[in-house]
Amino acid sequence: MTDAVEGAARPLIDNTDSKRPHGLLLVAIPVLLMTWLIIWPIISAIGRTIWRPDAEGNVGFSLSSYVFFFSDQYSLNNLWITLWTTLMCAILLLVICLPIAIYLRFSSGRIPAYVQALAIFPMFVPSIILAYAFIRVLGPNGMVDILLNAVGLPKIRTPYLTPWGPVIGLVWDNIPLTVLILLSGLGNVANHAIEAARDVGANRLQVFWHIILPRISNSVLVAISFAVLGIFSSFTLPYLLGPAAPEMMGPFMNRTFREVNDPLNAITQAVITFGFCIAFGLFYVRSVARNQGK
Amino acid sequence: MERFIPAIFGPPKVEPNRAPIDWIGIAFAALLSACIIFPLLVVGTWAFTEVWRYPNVIPQQFGLRFWGQTLSRPDVWGALMLSLQLSTVVTLLSAAICLPAAYAFARLNFPGRNILFFSFLAGHAFPKFGLLIAIAAIFLQLNLIGTFWGVVLIQLVGTLLFMIWIPVAAFQSVDRRMEEAARDVGAGPLRVFWSITLPQAGPTIAAAVLLSFVGTFYETEGAWLIGAPGIRTMPVLMISFINNQMVIQFGAVLSVMLWVPSFIALMFARRVIGGGAFARGFGG
Repeated sequence: MTDAVEGAARPLIDNTDSKRPHGLLLVAIPVLLMTWLIIWPIISAIGRTIWRPDAEGNVGFSLSSYVFFFSDQYSLNNLWITLWTTLMCAILLLVICLPIAIYLRFSSGRIPAYVQALAIFPMFVPSIILAYAFIRVLGPNGMVDILLNAVGLPKIRTPYLTPWGPVIGLVWDNIPLTVLILLSGLGNVANHAIEAARDVGANRLQVFWHIILPRISNSVLVAISFAVLGIFSSFTLPYLLGPAAPEMMGPFMNRTFREVNDPLNAITQAVITFGFCIAFGLFYVRSVARNQGK
Repeated sequence: MERFIPAIFGPPKVEPNRAPIDWIGIAFAALLSACIIFPLLVVGTWAFTEVWRYPNVIPQQFGLRFWGQTLSRPDVWGALMLSLQLSTVVTLLSAAICLPAAYAFARLNFPGRNILFFSFLAGHAFPKFGLLIAIAAIFLQLNLIGTFWGVVLIQLVGTLLFMIWIPVAAFQSVDRRMEEAARDVGAGPLRVFWSITLPQAGPTIAAAVLLSFVGTFYETEGAWLIGAPGIRTMPVLMISFINNQMVIQFGAVLSVMLWVPSFIALMFARRVIGGGAFARGFGG
């Protein structure tokens, strides 16, 4: 993908004199669709939540829906559980995926190929099937309970319908892209840099800390940003695997919009999730654009 | 299946100097098999189980009875047909509007080309469900909630980035000198496009179209939020099966059935998703 885009920056035939606008016509429909269904809803959501009628019907600047959110204990609990879940997932993803990616980078043969195939595999399992498999394996009287019972051990305390349920599901779901992004970053670590460090007596931990980590820090941040954007407002897995209360922002927004039938507060919640993710989103877009533009 | 994946996703190789037993690799392989393959095997087993009571490690009775029961449910057929319809309509619309745009981005020079090209990332810079709520609020005013075309629109937006960026790369990888040569011997622009450009870019574009079909088939959140209560796609039906704790095997049978399109996508992905390039596409 990237290599091809590089070609665009330096076309074989230099047609700088043909800078005509008729290309605009061909891209008009997708661009208009994107403007109407992505850019406009975001602007409209912000506008409608800060610029709205007060008690007398005069339209004006008002932050009352935000004041309500941040003074409502139930909303705050939901925000808190979302932040906790996102943080736990980010930590677990790094702890799981970094060793896998480093192992894959510095080994070859059939076992690494198998490990990589497994690490990519969840990308091809829809999250709805994942949720079902989770319940059958870790749910009450699930497969893990069956196996523990067979060897005479007590049952587990099932993570199903606890805050750990969504954490486990979301980590499972996000392993493939995290591994791929980290692996791509590890491609920038030159073998001779590691050999040189080894030659002067550095141990594995020192090599990781002083040679590998500084070179992949950007990829780590991209992987985290991507995971955070996906996890913070995830819906399906928290809805099916998480507790009813407190609930993550995704199920909370869904319930406010559909069951409570309160679009204004649902949009307020959406804008608040935008606010919490804006830094990750900007960083992510900057990285992708920079990579594509290289 | 695993045989194919290394070919696409092969890690950057380092020359092996000696071959001791790869204990770390074996540990990773065992752990990942237990965490990733095992749960899916359990689901697969449930789909072909007739009786499996709690303390037994192996089901008491295997059989296909629940396949018959699942497939004779009208709501399953309705959801399957609706999902196929939706995926087809969305994929065709997406191809119709995105492929010309991709060609323009790849080949034509026009004002604002770069900024417009990268603007398609905007949808990925925001948390998805928050964005869906914002769109749903607009659809509420337009009475598009609970309608077929509301779901089509929301799923169409989800395919834009994919259906533009991958074909752009495909058009750009076409050898321009062959096109020039064809033009030199008198072929018209359409002839060049049909005989030179399309055959070279075709396979990648076909894979993008297929992946967008499969992605739309599994799209859950937009269909759930915008489609309810009128539009019940396969994943939405599956959610209600899980929530209502119906017969366990229904969910298992649906999972196995639902997984078939994913398997096809996996087969095609090795063409489109080249490991490093794919990750770089995600900013890695």
